[in-house]
Amino acid sequence: MIRAYYPELDETLYRETLENGLPVLVIPRKGFTKKIAYFVTDYGSIHRDFTLEGQEYHAPAGVAHFLEHKLFDLPGERDVSAEFASMGASTNAFTSYDMTAYYFSCTEHFDDCLKLLLEFVSTPYFTDESVAKEQGIIDQEIGMNEDASDSRVFENLMQALYHAHPIRVPILGTSATIREITPQVLETCHRAFYTPENMLLCVVGDVEPEQVAKIARQVLGTDHRPAGVKQYLWQEDMTRPKEEVSLSMEVAMPMFSLGFKCESLGKGEQAIREEMVADLAAEALFGESSELYLKLYEDGLIDSSFGGGFETIDGCAMLLCSGDSDNPHAVRDAIVAQGEKIAAQGLEEEAFLRMKRSALGRRIRGLDSFDATCFRVCAYHFSDFDYFRFPEIYRDIQPKEICDFLGRVVRADRCSLSIINPISSNPIGG
Amino acid sequence: MIETISLSPGVTLRCCRDDRFKQGCLSVQLVRPMTRQESAANALLPSVLLRGTVSCPDLRAITLRLDTLYGASVSPLVRRVGDYQTTGLYCGFMDDRFALPGDAVLQPMVKFLEELLLDSPVENGGFLETFVESEKKNLISTIESERNDKRVYAMSRLLKILCREDSFGLSRLGEPEQVSTITPKGLYDHYQQILRSSTMELFYVGSAESSRVAQLLKPMLSRIRRQWQPLSPQTGFHPCPGDNVVEIMDVAQGKLGMGFVTPITNRDSRFPAMQVLNTLFGGGMTSKLFVNIREKHSLCYSIGSAYYGAKGIVTVSAGIDFDKEAQTREEVLAQLKACQDGCITPEELTAAKEAVLSSLRATHDSPGAIEGYYATAALSTLNLTVPEYMSAVAKVTMGDVVAAARELKLHSTYFLKGESQ
Repeated sequence: MIRAYYPELDETLYRETLENGLPVLVIPRKGFTKKIAYFVTDYGSIHRDFTLEGQEYHAPAGVAHFLEHKLFDLPGERDVSAEFASMGASTNAFTSYDMTAYYFSCTEHFDDCLKLLLEFVSTPYFTDESVAKEQGIIDQEIGMNEDASDSRVFENLMQALYHAHPIRVPILGTSATIREITPQVLETCHRAFYTPENMLLCVVGDVEPEQVAKIARQVLGTDHRPAGVKQYLWQEDMTRPKEEVSLSMEVAMPMFSLGFKCESLGKGEQAIREEMVADLAAEALFGESSELYLKLYEDGLIDSSFGGGFETIDGCAMLLCSGDSDNPHAVRDAIVAQGEKIAAQGLEEEAFLRMKRSALGRRIRGLDSFDATCFRVCAYHFSDFDYFRFPEIYRDIQPKEICDFLGRVVRADRCSLSIINPISSNPIGG
Repeated sequence: MIETISLSPGVTLRCCRDDRFKQGCLSVQLVRPMTRQESAANALLPSVLLRGTVSCPDLRAITLRLDTLYGASVSPLVRRVGDYQTTGLYCGFMDDRFALPGDAVLQPMVKFLEELLLDSPVENGGFLETFVESEKKNLISTIESERNDKRVYAMSRLLKILCREDSFGLSRLGEPEQVSTITPKGLYDHYQQILRSSTMELFYVGSAESSRVAQLLKPMLSRIRRQWQPLSPQTGFHPCPGDNVVEIMDVAQGKLGMGFVTPITNRDSRFPAMQVLNTLFGGGMTSKLFVNIREKHSLCYSIGSAYYGAKGIVTVSAGIDFDKEAQTREEVLAQLKACQDGCITPEELTAAKEAVLSSLRATHDSPGAIEGYYATAALSTLNLTVPEYMSAVAKVTMGDVVAAARELKLHSTYFLKGESQ
């Protein structure tokens, strides 16, 4: 494996791409007892259109998440979670818009846990009965989600911001779309996106890097199969279909989610730099130590539920904030005005350095968390960037970049507001 | 691995020098006897200190200061350790090794800690009324939300019955009625007094040498005119007659609490055996209580035991239907009897020892866990480092566990049941 050392972070990273196309990353942490492994595919809920072996496919919404649930089944009624538990380990998985991750954490029996992780994720086993049963389970999850105001406020915002991007559809899909899922659909998607070259294995802990690669070769073999090719059939400009969308639900107080549409970032170093600029811009605009945050807080327009940041997903990006407020319109107007003000006046050098330092420090402290590190390393790897290079990117960022970003993005014509009003009170807005 | 330095009478700095982490921590605790008179004030104090200083007069100024310190954090620290209550602050911050060239974190962090502890804004001889009043509200709502959790509530009621003769029955954060009587001046005077007279424990985890940490703390400590009053040593369980209390409330599920006492505290060489016994008896999904009472007999929704080593108390808590009380109680005693009679399989013993070892192993994986273990161990007089503790657990035999089980005596029970049935 190739070893790289990052003196600024005192981190070491081993990497190798196996014969079968699987990139393996190992971050050794000498002297720690905990060990974790993430086996991740560059495939999420939005990747519904693809070609595989010359054929075109359009999968129903919710397949990626459905597949995540079903991969925990193994032939012979084996219970994957119980097998991890018997080794004193715990396992779990999640599906996002553009990535699906399976992981475990253990202190002992690392090799056996790793074998089991690789085995269960790479073994498709779907029957008509198990798929029908899962439809019931996921349908309930969808039902619960429909009652969850924080999911609804976000999903409504996505529909207001985007014309066609598949982020308009919830990760879970809908009751109707999951009924279209069959064992065959699951097998096709597994074949397309769970091939080693579309995946990534990342391990953090006091382990022998070569041993990780060896186990991955043993379990996954050396066959190199081409992955499905994702099709991006939609087009998005920077306009948004709706300025505002609202709904009434059983909530104690109105809640809102506010989004500003941003240009999609693409991949590589330039993209990561833009992401870090946008993160800092969000801090400067409405972060906890910003001028605006304190003012809105003191005016009673937001409370401690308020928060936000920059989000980037394959094919789209946005600046978001959300919280409870009696007057979401006033919050929106204040944010737009503050964005214009910072863009026009610029940032004080001292305030800018303080912000940069804080963001850098928090990222560095975050490296003590094995899970956060593993997640970030995987996500950045899929964006073709080596996460441990973040200090040099930060060092380079100039205040002007923050102001340019805010000037370009924080504008009324790029913004949508999603509101959930309490039932039986005077509604806010339309 | 832990270096202990006495900085002045009653002021101890403990350092764990470790460069595996990106972040370090520094905690300061004033150690008080747990009493009804001051527990609420001690619980309130750190939150008031964190509201502002003379140079950082509001929350935003504090956040900005922490931003300058590479996104550091400071939080209130209020603990109960046996007969003691501690009150203080916990700082988490990036290690100096990662600061920009010529920059540092630890030194300005200590300086800021000094400000938080010693430079609070003062009016009319007390803390600012606005700070005190809003933090009183927060504390009362924290105490009340703990009360709303019926499992926690039942356990605190059991401890009150069990510990009528000692402070272990008092609520860790005080009672709402005590919080509401606190005045800005009263709290300020109390703070000045305990700052001078209390045992003070400082704990550092990070890459700096202990001598340097001691040096950095000196200016702060020299500003306090210390008149140390040593604490009475920790004591075991104070005997009182047992009792069985039933309380009726509008709840859907009954909560049974059973309190056992033992002369084995963490100052006893049999402590590791008692810890293993507790795990085997009721500490998890392979324990006798869980396997037999929940899985086999389906008598309860939840069941588990806890061992308070600083005091020598074991409690069992179970969530049950109202009509299952007598049966559950009998079955818990039957499982304890099985332990006392040596009806324990080698597999049960191994699983229990492995569970204790595994949680100890994780202690060295984070600065917070290291601080939590050693800062608490020092106060409860648990004189074992983690490796020593682990090797003692590994040596525990079947005979040791049986002997520990025989030292457990049922003292009192508490049952919270619903109005119906």
